[in-house]
Amino acid sequence: MASAYNPIYTDVPEKDVFALHFLQTLSNLRTQNSFSSPDNKTSDRVKKIKKAAYVSMARAAGGTNRLWSRSLLHQAAKRNNKNVRFLRRKRRVTWLMRRRSNRGDPIEDVAAERLRNLVPGGGGMETSKLMEETAHYIKCLSMQVKVMQCLVDGLSPK
Amino acid sequence: MSNRRSRQSSSAPRISDDQIIDLVTKLRQILPEIGQRRRSDKVSASKVLQETCNYIRNLNREVDNLSERLAQLLESVDEDSPQAAVIRSLLM
Repeated sequence: MASAYNPIYTDVPEKDVFALHFLQTLSNLRTQNSFSSPDNKTSDRVKKIKKAAYVSMARAAGGTNRLWSRSLLHQAAKRNNKNVRFLRRKRRVTWLMRRRSNRGDPIEDVAAERLRNLVPGGGGMETSKLMEETAHYIKCLSMQVKVMQCLVDGLSPK
Repeated sequence: MSNRRSRQSSSAPRISDDQIIDLVTKLRQILPEIGQRRRSDKVSASKVLQETCNYIRNLNREVDNLSERLAQLLESVDEDSPQAAVIRSLLM
């Protein structure tokens, strides 16, 4: 039985969706008292902004519809010790999937391992799913970078 | 779960050639550098994966740099400057 060819969806939303989410997250940050107090170290501020960037990107890109965004939001919520409830999806056994995907080229698998470490949530995926998630992740990341660049350009003094 | 073990040698979840070609094409469009140099159809999957890893690392570094600049810019904005007005109009 030939396996059906599933077209791979890697459409990402428009730039303003990302911009809107990022600005909303930033404004939430600014209204927190801890953010604008003078004894807050710059490195903490940078970390908060960076985290805001990733979280808003995950939300803009589809929230819990994508594996990488789910994993990102989950990690972020864990660090905040927030009690977030996620729908339990049926997850396949990881070692079984590793065995399946390990039957390819060993060179390819080393690179796939590195990719798994870079893409959030990549540890539990098959190689084909990993590629799909990677493509979407890269598109969203580059969109987020564009948004941040525009913001920085708009804010820096002429 | 036992039926999954018996399906290991079947072709069901294996990535098909069409999918590989499609994915590599998509990744090539996204990645800025590679693609034009190769004439053969046989793409080096490991090369594509490697370029992807490098690209993701670059993007993460960009996010770090931009976050730093944003942090500096946001804290140095005083209340009456035009930048503050811009921020306020964007955030409303």
